[in-house]
Amino acid sequence: MAGLTGVWILVAHQLRSRVRSTVIWGVALGALGALYVALFPSMSGLLERYMEEAPQEMQQYMGGLQGPITIEQWLGMEFINALIPVALPFLVMVIGARAIAGREERKTLDLLLSNPLPRWQVVVAGLGTMAVSLAGVLVITGVLTYIAAPVAGVALSPGRLTAALAAIWPLCLFFGSVALLVSALIRRGALAIAIPGVILVAMYVIDSLAQISKTIEPLRVVSLFYHLGQPLEGDFPWTATLLILAGVCIVTGTAMAVFARRDIYT
Amino acid sequence: MPPAILTEKLTKAYGSRLGIEALDLEVAPGEVFGFIGPNGAGKTTTIRLLLDLLHPTSGRARVLGLDAHRESVAVRRNIGYLPGEFGLDVRMTGRQLIHHFGRLRGLDGLGAAPWLAARLDLDLDLPMGRLSRGNRQKIGLVQALFHRPPLLILDEPTTGLDPLVQDTFLQIVREARDEGRTIFLSSHVLSEVERVCDRVAIVRSGRLAALETTQTLLEKRRKRVTLEFSEPVDASLFARLPGVSDVCSRGTTVSLRLHDGIDAVVKAAAQHSLLDLSIEHPTLDEVFLGYYEERQPWQV
Repeated sequence: MAGLTGVWILVAHQLRSRVRSTVIWGVALGALGALYVALFPSMSGLLERYMEEAPQEMQQYMGGLQGPITIEQWLGMEFINALIPVALPFLVMVIGARAIAGREERKTLDLLLSNPLPRWQVVVAGLGTMAVSLAGVLVITGVLTYIAAPVAGVALSPGRLTAALAAIWPLCLFFGSVALLVSALIRRGALAIAIPGVILVAMYVIDSLAQISKTIEPLRVVSLFYHLGQPLEGDFPWTATLLILAGVCIVTGTAMAVFARRDIYT
Repeated sequence: MPPAILTEKLTKAYGSRLGIEALDLEVAPGEVFGFIGPNGAGKTTTIRLLLDLLHPTSGRARVLGLDAHRESVAVRRNIGYLPGEFGLDVRMTGRQLIHHFGRLRGLDGLGAAPWLAARLDLDLDLPMGRLSRGNRQKIGLVQALFHRPPLLILDEPTTGLDPLVQDTFLQIVREARDEGRTIFLSSHVLSEVERVCDRVAIVRSGRLAALETTQTLLEKRRKRVTLEFSEPVDASLFARLPGVSDVCSRGTTVSLRLHDGIDAVVKAAAQHSLLDLSIEHPTLDEVFLGYYEERQPWQV
């Protein structure tokens, strides 16, 4: 219980210093979401005609859309399944990188660890800060995106929008936990962002290319983007969500173990 | 009561290089213990091992009767630590930092921080990014002292402080000792060690070169004796005397270094017409440098 109190104190402290960036990320992504919603009435007809005339590979790349394009398909294709899961993990990667390696580089880790804190609490607090910051950004994004729907005269299901954003949360958290692990292993904050960043981009590229290339298609299973599914269309990826969350726990546990064993330098 | 700090054959290797080697150290409760040596001698490595920031290659350390590694959380609960180099969150104020650290230690308020800040002439409400080097060092001192820990571990505590604040800090250290608290003070500013420490350990190339009371160390210092005669004398007369070194002669003046009794020198000088005799007592710096002089290392 005392351990959880320490974690909570650290999380609350870190969240206070991250309020501004959380709001900025939420408003920026929410504004983009609102823009996509506002564009939908004018884009839906154009997109429908484009899909009818597009080459087969491009149709597959666009998710094999047929008939009238719905707001859920449009938002999923352009925003929820494309832009957010590529951009938002970088927010949590920065938090993960700063949690240990960043503090070590800024020489603030010594002072923090001179307090009666087990090292695992610093790792868990990093994950907690990521989880709450991420949730905050997704809530702001969801609210702004949803508010735009009646203004644009579009019917958007709040339940499906919530489910779609909720499905992104563990995916982003996974990349954040990888940043936390690298941060716990080596005292280079830039590498703690770069390594999960490269994994993220590689997964995105594999998932995208696999939709148009039979050669790459078997590799698609290694990409978390593939497992994201189409939650905005009512297909919530329960199994993938639970497995990704299990992966987050394993990666974080590994980070705790390696951080407990390594030396801290000034 | 267990020793405040006890290390047994404590060794830390960085690859093939040894940071410290087989360090045996015992710091008694309630004393101010000086840990001196030049940069790279192993002072900070030792401190970081006590704080469990580094893990020993071999040997062990106990702090306040607790294992420094296995019981490090309990150890750190009872320690105030000032690192030699540290960073501060530039957006936070000193008050916010102390409040945060206080919560991590289970304290509600700021403890002794306002009193310490007033004594050190420090504004706790300024963002730390706007503080000068000296004021950041004061923040470091306040965060080490505010919870009144039984053991203070201070690595180069007066770096960046002006002489007046250094005096105030040394007074705070004496008061802490008078309250029965233990202070482990690493420094290469020997004058402050001389002024405040009860015992001194000198570390050289990762090994303990000497461990003495400050008084004993000072008594070991080599005096410089200057003799002025009415006419030039043969200086080799003095060079042959026991405990005498560095004899030089200039005109009617002979100067020499002496680390034994002065009786033989006085008797030798009395064979000539002696006009004046002066004895200079070197500071701890010179004693310290003596340990680093390869040509005349002191017996350890």
